[in-house]
Amino acid sequence: MARLIRTEKEVEGRYEEVWTVVEEDALEQWPAGPLDVVGRPAARQDGLQRARGEARFTADVRLPGMLHAAVLRSPHAGATVRSLDLAPALALPGVHAAISFEDADFLEREPGYPGASVAAVCADTPEQAQAAVEAIQVDWDVHAPLLDPDEAVARGQLISEGQDYVRGDVERALAQADAVVEAEYRTQSVLHSSMETHQAVCAWEGETLVVHISTQYIWGVRDEIAEKLGLDRDNVRVICEYMGGGFGSKNGAGEYTLAAAELARRTGRPVRCALSRREESLDSGNRNATIQRLRGGARSDGTIIALSGEYVNAVGWDGWVAGTNGPMQMLYSVENVATSLRGAKLNSGPMKAFRAPGFVEGTFGLECLLDELAAKLGVDPLELRKRNHADLDVLDGRPFSSKSLMECYRRAEPHWERRHEVRARSDETWKHGVGLASQIWYGGGGPPSYAWVRVGSDARATVVTAMQDIGTGSRTAMAQIAAEELGLPLDRVKVELGDSARGPFASISAGSSTIPSMGPAVRSAAGDARRQIVELAAQRWQKEERTLSLKGGQIVCSDGGSWPLESLLGLLEDAQILGTGARGPNPTGMRVLTFGVQVAEVAVDIETGEVRVDKIVAIHDVGRIVNPLGAKSQVEGGIVQAIGHTLSEHRLLDPTTGLVLTQTLDAYKLPTIADVPEIVCEFIDEPDSHLTNLGSKGLGEPPIIPTAAAIANAIRDATGANIRSLPIDRAEMLRALAEAAAQRKEKVGAPST
Amino acid sequence: MELLRPESSAEAVALLGNGARALAGGTDLVPLLRDGLVTADALVELGRAVPAGIDGTRIGAGTTLAELEASTEIPDALREACRLAASPQLRAMGTIGGNLLQATRCWYWRLAVPCYLHGGDRCHARDGQHREHAIFGNERCASAHPSDPAAALLALGATVRTDRRELPVADLYRLPTDDARDVTALEPGELLLELDVPRPDASAYLKAMDRQRWSFALVGVAAARVGGETRLALAGVAPVPWLLADPAELDRATPLPGTAYKVEIARALVRRALARTA
Amino acid sequence: MPELRVNGHAYAFESPVGRSLADVLRDDLGLTGTKVACGEGHCGACTVQLDGTPVLSCITLVHTVGEREVTTIEGLRDHPLVEAFVRADALQCGFCTPGQIVSAAALVAETPEPTREQIRHGMAGNLCRCGAYSNIEEAIATWRD
Repeated sequence: MARLIRTEKEVEGRYEEVWTVVEEDALEQWPAGPLDVVGRPAARQDGLQRARGEARFTADVRLPGMLHAAVLRSPHAGATVRSLDLAPALALPGVHAAISFEDADFLEREPGYPGASVAAVCADTPEQAQAAVEAIQVDWDVHAPLLDPDEAVARGQLISEGQDYVRGDVERALAQADAVVEAEYRTQSVLHSSMETHQAVCAWEGETLVVHISTQYIWGVRDEIAEKLGLDRDNVRVICEYMGGGFGSKNGAGEYTLAAAELARRTGRPVRCALSRREESLDSGNRNATIQRLRGGARSDGTIIALSGEYVNAVGWDGWVAGTNGPMQMLYSVENVATSLRGAKLNSGPMKAFRAPGFVEGTFGLECLLDELAAKLGVDPLELRKRNHADLDVLDGRPFSSKSLMECYRRAEPHWERRHEVRARSDETWKHGVGLASQIWYGGGGPPSYAWVRVGSDARATVVTAMQDIGTGSRTAMAQIAAEELGLPLDRVKVELGDSARGPFASISAGSSTIPSMGPAVRSAAGDARRQIVELAAQRWQKEERTLSLKGGQIVCSDGGSWPLESLLGLLEDAQILGTGARGPNPTGMRVLTFGVQVAEVAVDIETGEVRVDKIVAIHDVGRIVNPLGAKSQVEGGIVQAIGHTLSEHRLLDPTTGLVLTQTLDAYKLPTIADVPEIVCEFIDEPDSHLTNLGSKGLGEPPIIPTAAAIANAIRDATGANIRSLPIDRAEMLRALAEAAAQRKEKVGAPST
Repeated sequence: MELLRPESSAEAVALLGNGARALAGGTDLVPLLRDGLVTADALVELGRAVPAGIDGTRIGAGTTLAELEASTEIPDALREACRLAASPQLRAMGTIGGNLLQATRCWYWRLAVPCYLHGGDRCHARDGQHREHAIFGNERCASAHPSDPAAALLALGATVRTDRRELPVADLYRLPTDDARDVTALEPGELLLELDVPRPDASAYLKAMDRQRWSFALVGVAAARVGGETRLALAGVAPVPWLLADPAELDRATPLPGTAYKVEIARALVRRALARTA
Repeated sequence: MPELRVNGHAYAFESPVGRSLADVLRDDLGLTGTKVACGEGHCGACTVQLDGTPVLSCITLVHTVGEREVTTIEGLRDHPLVEAFVRADALQCGFCTPGQIVSAAALVAETPEPTREQIRHGMAGNLCRCGAYSNIEEAIATWRD
């Protein structure tokens, strides 16, 4: 039955109270451990299409008569357009239409960052469109950009109101602490760098706008376009069958889509608007830089009694203030905590959610601080973390729906114990060490989300839901869940997704929410179909329903009888069993979070500052694992991105003009295959007994969270150097080594002076 | 734009100039043309016009870095410099001649900022972001020469033959001046044909970069020993490949605030390269 | 009209000098398996083979291809590497995957049993933002299994 409830909705760590309709099914959770299909490794169902280059991405959509759009972007970090003339562009060959901020309010007269969209043109070819954009005459009034986040905070240039949080009395506690550490940490801005750039093809079919777009949220795109262009929502159809990476940057429609839609309306032709790699680096979002001024105090027994953090997020011209303060507030049971968080509004590209926004940055600072504290106290870093474990949610005393962080720590022990042996490998130049860091994040998902399941007379099932598979293997995981529930082999279940006109509403694929939001809805729909099949079987063979179940493509009776599913469904001819399902509510009065720990083994060349990550052990607790193969890939991918964030990626701006200097993939250094360490991946794999009919939490984000701190802590273990900023490039590594050497010298010199 | 495919070097040379540009592997030129940093009315494809392959100490300018990487005949320093350069595809496409003449990777220059090298009045990197930039010869332009093989060839004392002369690799480069904002000394239309790479008794190339592979050198150090004499040359430390008179010259480096770390890396790599070739 | 030999077929094409091989493959011949992710030779998504050598089709001018045989992912669809990639889960979003497989096919053609070190060296020009590298290494190491 449908119920209307008032509940907390969480996306990327942002909570809001909303009214939600929830429908609950009567399905009991499956037992823990590998089942027939769920919990067993499955190759991705669309793997062949992707590997053979047959999968049609937005980049591959070619419609008859399609025009190509190009966008005039601000070359300046801050400017006002005094005058703009589209006529020279419109006069060029092949040009069909042009629009500026005078025609559409999603284009900017006062761009606030380099790359902001000012005007757009469409033409027969991309080259003609680009030439036309360059022909637009603009008279700019250029402003001096504001680029320093501290200065922005001092001037009150904030993205939103500051957030201050206090529990207990930090100053008093620090005064009583046996050891206090104070340090400033910095993290850099990094780019999502999806391989498929942001792009859309818009075509009008009568009153309906059809939008092919590389997106993580087809329903969000639908609603945003409908709102901005004044259309009925059902007159916007959004299609994304395959998409080439998003990592949080593709949650909305974006100006490029709106421009394509508007130009398509004006020309009556389909219009493609695709960002170039350089435009992608300017205007597709980024993980914002942060400054973290932290203090921590502990008693000699390792009890942390105070933590304080002043956090500044260098948000950029737009975006939101991600929870850099979250880990400090939530990860450990600490009595006295005070955080302040400010989001600086700057003349740089807007931040967008990037895989665990805020927590990646905040965990780096907090978990490095913890190890500095451990070193000062002479307490084992793993022991310190265990000692301060939070048994209840420290924010409001709620119980956790499930939490196996202690079990993660226990499983980390053998890897952590290796540090003696690893350190012993050190020689004059290469120093080896081991470090670890904990992970906390959301990832519980939530309602609403829906799915339909269709079972035909050939005893094959199709899951229909308008979700998207952003490369995480959602098609496969959903098929596994439906197959398990229907007692079908996996190859008899197919998933149709990626089209808002062909399936019910489905969750955004962000915030580690796909499995926990969609999985239960799919199981619920499959359960509805299963119930109907059992009802029919009971009538066909005169059995009691409770004696019948579905397994291995058979209808099985507890009295020993069994019949192939086809022998029942084959009677139906063209009739179909149709199941519907919805995501139920999250447990009330409980906090749903994900946890984990990573252990890093590194080697540092102390003469050249080279850091080599040799091994990462990742142990995460995200409830039930649906597809161990896909889950392992998620963990490896998160760690690879984390290694880029930790060692080589850095969006650099010219300090005077705000020009983005690292627009290309030679200058902006993503990890290559040669940078990847040995990765060992373990899951607790215990269903969260309070969470949905599935007991699974999300895994997209957790693995990227603790890696940077684990590496920095391993570097400290190897060299004694305190890393304070990301990326740990040669300059930062050599700086930290020099600082450590100077401190050692001071210490050695101290008694004699 | 027109594509010309001469059959001989003489024919190629006759076609060059007047807006016609030489095209070898295209890995640098094609992006530069697209970005408008280089303009051309015609491209003279050198495939059949410039020698390729290794013959004793001579290497055709059209030899790809991939061929050099796989060769057992050439000195270690050159082979290693080729192996650690660029990416596999770029090494398969790019020629040694083109590699020596490639443009700087300075982001200001690549983004068409009107900097000194583009004819402007100042180097934007000096006051801006310059973590990848020079520690020598950087007074006017702080760009860092990106070629690994150039440093190796410089240490090896290689010479290059063009359609009109032979010159030491050292003379192929010069720091940009107010009158000539270019780092190579070739005349307009002059075509690089062949290298002559003497065999040292020992040689090595060591490279510090931001990733394990596919990165331009933060610091590359080539060392080549002939008898008791070892020559050192560096990549990524000056607008041109930099011949290091002796290790102590590093004490006289003129790093920018953001490139001081390169001096330290260079010291370590020079020490190691000398030990490797001793 | 110039001709292009692709995957064993000859195609006539008409195009201004300066156009890339990638654009002709994708837009004129409809061979969209070859992807363009950076368009300037930095990422490897557009990798195709010319006479067996992996090159970047986004910075290869189509008029310079000449007589050389172009092999794209469409010509390698039945290569055992394809199956190996799926088996090892060596892809996530799949956008870089055709380029990965084209590069890997050239690698194993030359070195049928590459060491891990050879794989890491030979595949360093194919960026994968999803970070499927461990499995890519695994797929190439086990491609004949």
